Amino acid sequence: MNTPIVIGIDAGGTMTDTILVDRNGHFKIGKAATTPHNEAEGFIASAEDAADAWGISLEDLFSHLDVVLYSGTGMLNTLLSRTGRRLGLITTKGMEDMVLMGRGLQAWADYSYSDRLHAVTHQHPDPLVPRRRTHGVTERIDQFGDVIIPLYEHEVAAAARKLIDDKVDAICIMTIFSHVNPAHEKRIAEICRQEIAGAGADINVLTSHEVRPVIREQSRLNSILIEAYATSRGRKQLRGIEDASKKYGFRYGVQTLLSFGGLTSINHPRLHETMISGPIGGILGAAYVGKLIGNDSLICSDMGGTSFDMGVITRGQTRIENEPLMDRFKLNVPTLHLDTIGAGAGMILKVDPLTKKVSLGPESAGSDPGPICFDRGGTEPTIADCDAILGRLNPDYFLGGKVKLQVEKARLAFKEKCADVLGVSVEEAAEGMIDMLEGDANNALRRVISGQGIHPSEYTLLSYGGSGPLHLAGCSKGIGFRDVLTFQFAAGFSAFGCTTADYMRRHSVSIQIDIGARADNSELTETANRIDRVWRDLERAAVEEMLADGHAREKVRTVPFLMMRYTGQLEDVEVMSPIPAATNADDMRKVIDQFETVYAKINHRVSRYGEAGFTITELGVIATADKVKPLLVKRPLGPSNPAAAHKGTREAYIGGRWHKADLYEMDLLEPGHEISGPAIVEHPATTLVIDPQDRVFIDEWTLLHYEHA
Amino acid sequence: MTSYTKEVISDLIAGQLPWPQTRRIMSTYKDEDRFFKVIEVLQERVPWDDPILLPISDHLFICQSGSERVTKCECGHSFGDYRRNWKLQALINVRCTEASLREIYPNNDIPDPDWMEIREFICPDCSTIHEVEAAAPGYPIVHDFEPDLEGFYREWLKKPLPEGPS
Repeated sequence: MNTPIVIGIDAGGTMTDTILVDRNGHFKIGKAATTPHNEAEGFIASAEDAADAWGISLEDLFSHLDVVLYSGTGMLNTLLSRTGRRLGLITTKGMEDMVLMGRGLQAWADYSYSDRLHAVTHQHPDPLVPRRRTHGVTERIDQFGDVIIPLYEHEVAAAARKLIDDKVDAICIMTIFSHVNPAHEKRIAEICRQEIAGAGADINVLTSHEVRPVIREQSRLNSILIEAYATSRGRKQLRGIEDASKKYGFRYGVQTLLSFGGLTSINHPRLHETMISGPIGGILGAAYVGKLIGNDSLICSDMGGTSFDMGVITRGQTRIENEPLMDRFKLNVPTLHLDTIGAGAGMILKVDPLTKKVSLGPESAGSDPGPICFDRGGTEPTIADCDAILGRLNPDYFLGGKVKLQVEKARLAFKEKCADVLGVSVEEAAEGMIDMLEGDANNALRRVISGQGIHPSEYTLLSYGGSGPLHLAGCSKGIGFRDVLTFQFAAGFSAFGCTTADYMRRHSVSIQIDIGARADNSELTETANRIDRVWRDLERAAVEEMLADGHAREKVRTVPFLMMRYTGQLEDVEVMSPIPAATNADDMRKVIDQFETVYAKINHRVSRYGEAGFTITELGVIATADKVKPLLVKRPLGPSNPAAAHKGTREAYIGGRWHKADLYEMDLLEPGHEISGPAIVEHPATTLVIDPQDRVFIDEWTLLHYEHA
Repeated sequence: MTSYTKEVISDLIAGQLPWPQTRRIMSTYKDEDRFFKVIEVLQERVPWDDPILLPISDHLFICQSGSERVTKCECGHSFGDYRRNWKLQALINVRCTEASLREIYPNNDIPDPDWMEIREFICPDCSTIHEVEAAAPGYPIVHDFEPDLEGFYREWLKKPLPEGPS
C-alpha cells in the first residue's frame, strides 16, 4: 500500500475524525476525543489513531502528505464563550441600536419547540459590541446608490478618536446600502486609518462591503462583527494545527473547508466563512458517492453525539442557504443547506417524576463527561447507555477497545433514574428511549422529504456519523427509500467528504435586475452586458485570491452564477451559468433557460411560471482548482457467505426480546457478502445494528445496502 | 429527578445565576424540593428566627411568630395577622398629582391623575417599598392575596404546616 497523501480531519463537538487517503484512493480512518482548549492535541491523537490503522508512524505520515485539511471548532467556541476581541462599530446615524435589537428570530433560534412557545425563555444573544462603543455618523446612501446626505467627516474623526481611546482591537464599519455604493464606508475606513496612524495605535479596520456586498444589513453586520471578533483566535487554533503538522514533517500549508463546499488556506481573508464547515463535508461526500451509484437524488443523514443533520441533493442540485445561523446570529455566508434536529447518542434522558413524561435532551453529554458507561464522571443516562445496556454496543470494542464501557454502572443508573420511575423493566425502558430517538429522526427525514415535494422512492438515504449506522434501522423504517446505504467508514464520512472538495472561492454581489416575460432582443442584450461587467469584476477578485494562495493561473477555473427567481417570488435558486460570458440576447436566453431547468429540477416541471418574468437578485463567480481526491475501489462480487467476517455472537435486545445476534467485523466484509438480522456489524469507530429479518448486502464498491424486511 | 444544590437556588433567588443556566432550569422539569430550598435560603437571609411559611414578595414573608401567623418584613417589622391586608399597616405614598407622577416618569407620558393614581406601600421601619398599585382615585386599597396556607401545605407540599408553640 502507498503512503497517504491527503489527510482530512473533522473536529466535531464530541469527536475528532480523521481520514487518510493515498494516491489510489485507498483510505483509513481514525478517531479521538475533541480537545477544545488546544485543538492540536485532538488533531494529533486522531491522526495517530489513523496512522496506526495504516501501520505507519506520525513522521512517516506527515512527511509524505500533500494536503492537510482541517475543519474545527475554534472560532465557534470563541463566539460561544464570548472571549473574542474588543470591538468598536461605526454605523449610519439612527442605526446604532441595530446591534441590540438584532433580528427577532435571533431571540429563539436554536431553541427546542417547547422553549420557542414559552416567550419567557426568549433572550437575544449577548451583542458582540456594546452599545457604548457603537457610534452613529451622519450620512445616507439610498437603495439606488445615490448619496442623499453626504458623509459628515468630522463626526467620523470624533468617533474614531473615541474608539482609539477605548482601546478597541478592531473597528467595524457598516452603513446602510453599502452593498450598492460603498463610497461612504470606504471614506470612513480611510479616516479611521488616518486617526489610528495619528495615534500610533494598532487597530484593524473592517468594512461590511468587503466582507460580502449583499443586501440585508443585519446579516452583513453580524458577519463583519464575527469576522472581527472570533477569527483571530480561530486562526491561532489553525496555526496550532499547522505547527503540529510541520513538527511531524509536513511541508505545506493547512487547508480548511468553506461553508459553501470548497477548500481554502488558513490565511483566507474572510475566515468566518469556514465556521459552519463541519457538516458540509457530508454533503460533498454524498454527492461524490451519488455519482458512483448512479442516483443523484440523495438524502444524507449524519448522526453523531449531539445532533442529526440532514442534507438534500435533488436531481444533482444542492440548495444554498444565504443567511445561515451561527450561535443564533444570522450571517450572510452562502452555505450548503442543512436541516438539523437535536438527536444523537449523547442525548441526556429525563423522566418527569410527576407526569412520567420522557424527554430526550436537548442537552448532550458530549465527550466530557460523556455517557455513564464511559465512566468519566457522567451521571445522567444517555442513549449510548441504552445501546450498551441492550447489548448493541460492544463494551470491549468501543473505539477499538480504547474505552471500556461500564455496562453495569449504566444499567444501575438507568434503572434508578428512568426505568423505575416509569415502572417498567430496564430493557423495555431502554428500547423505548431508543425508539423515541429513532422516531424523532424518522419524522425529521419525512418532513425534509415532503418539503421537496418529491416521492421518497426517488431518494437514496446515506447514513453516516459515529451513531448513524447504530440507529439506521429505526431512522429509515417505513419511509420507502429507493435504497439505504451506509459505509465502513461511516464515522469518518464527513472528513472523507471534505477530502473530495476542490480549492474554491465564491464572490458575489447583490443586484436587482428584472427581465420581463416578453423582453425583446435589445433589452436582453443590455441585461447581458450589465451582468457581464459584474461577472468580470468578481472573476478578477476571485482569481486574485486564488493566485495569492499559490495556485497557478492555468489551474484556476471560473464559473459565473446567478441567484434567480420568478418575479414576485420570495426565494432564489442558484443557477450556474451555462456560458462563460454573456454578450448578446441569445446568451441571456440560455441563462434564463438554465434557470428554468434548475427550477424544474428542484421543484417540479409543472411549477415553472415564466409568464411572471424573471428577477436576478445576486451575481457571483465561483473559482475552483482541482485537488487529489480519494477513490472508492470497485471490486467484483464474491460469494454471499460472510463467514470470513464472522467473529462470534452476542445477546442483544431488539424488538422486545433478547436475540443471539451474529457479530461481524465491518472491515472484513467483502463485496457480495449478505448478512441477515439479527446481527451486529462492528467497527472500531461505529456499529451497525441489523434488525431481525432485515438484511444487508455489500456491493462492488464495498458500500453496505440496508434492506428492510 | 431534577434537583439543584442550595447554592444554585440561592444564586437564582439573588438573580446572580448566568442566563444560560437560568434558562436550562426554566426549560427542565421543576425540581420537587424547590419550595423547601427556597424557604431555607430565605430563612438564612432574614435576621430573625420565626419560621417562614410562605414568601409573598421579594422582602415580605408570612411566618410563624409565636402562636400567631403574621406578615413580616425582611427587617423584622410585623404587619400583623396574615389574613388581614398588610397594606393597611404600611406607610402609603400616593402619587395623585402631575408633579408627583412626573417624579417617576420624567421623560415619558404620564397617566391622568384624575383617572389613575399610584400608591406605594412602604415599611415603616426600613422604608422598603413592598408593593406598588395603580388604581382609580377612591378605589379601596386592594387586598392582593389571602393564601390558603393549610390547604397549600396539606395538598400541594404534602407536609404538615409548621406549628408554633400554642
